[in-house]
Amino acid sequence: MARSQATVPEDPALRERFEREVLPLLPNLYGAALRMTRNPQDAEDVVQETYLRAYRGFAGFREGTNLRAWMYRILTNTFINSYRKRQREPATVPDDDIEDWYLYDRLGASVAEPSAENEVLEQIPDEDVQRALESLPDGFRMAVLLADVEGFSYKEIAEILDIPIGTVMSRLHRGRKALQKALWETVRERGLVND
Amino acid sequence: MSTTDCEHVLRQIELYLDGELVGFERVEIERHLGGCHPCSGHADFQRRLKEMLRDKCGCRDVPDELPERIRALLDAPEHPRAPDAPA
Repeated sequence: MARSQATVPEDPALRERFEREVLPLLPNLYGAALRMTRNPQDAEDVVQETYLRAYRGFAGFREGTNLRAWMYRILTNTFINSYRKRQREPATVPDDDIEDWYLYDRLGASVAEPSAENEVLEQIPDEDVQRALESLPDGFRMAVLLADVEGFSYKEIAEILDIPIGTVMSRLHRGRKALQKALWETVRERGLVND
Repeated sequence: MSTTDCEHVLRQIELYLDGELVGFERVEIERHLGGCHPCSGHADFQRRLKEMLRDKCGCRDVPDELPERIRALLDAPEHPRAPDAPA
């Protein structure tokens, strides 16, 4: 039987539907890829590969199921399989002494004016916020990215990353704490607080 | 019924802000936040953090030529192998 699994759909209607429904997700997918890979060239490569894989699988995608989550699952798998292996980095964030640590409390103790904590946040340059997120190890970075930047539910994140919901929750909790610590370092370096 | 204590609320605040609490649990947190200044300060701050991440780490301008490059890739007669493409 001469039937190739690698054949790309020839159906013009399918191509049209892909264009209409999947290409508009490009800005978000590219933004997420940037935060994952930490550089524009790799982000473009990951996104292109993601689209190609998605297109190959699109005929089997059931309409009415979660297209956005499906695309992010392909994106994260592409990233993990193709790019993460190249990087050497710690796989986790420190677990010690972070439970009772809150950026809110630290800022509250360091700025004189009441309710100035939120204003300090506003003053952090975009690049520093991006760097703080990018400083998190992959598993934590992706959980925070999917929840806070992309707005996915815990259930969706569990499906995208193929991990239990309990793991999603602990990665979010610990990832956010680590992010707050990184932001604390930033505001101190920038002189935004009296430390 | 005992009043919800701050420690419990601080543990639940992420779930609450993530929209993962429903029904009584959600009402319980909201009632506490309504009457507890320190906890509502924490909640506001963490909400701002979430918003800041969304605004500053979200959707970037896509490179001009990327959409066309993707279209060309989809329309190419020969595709590089992608054995783990989802079904």
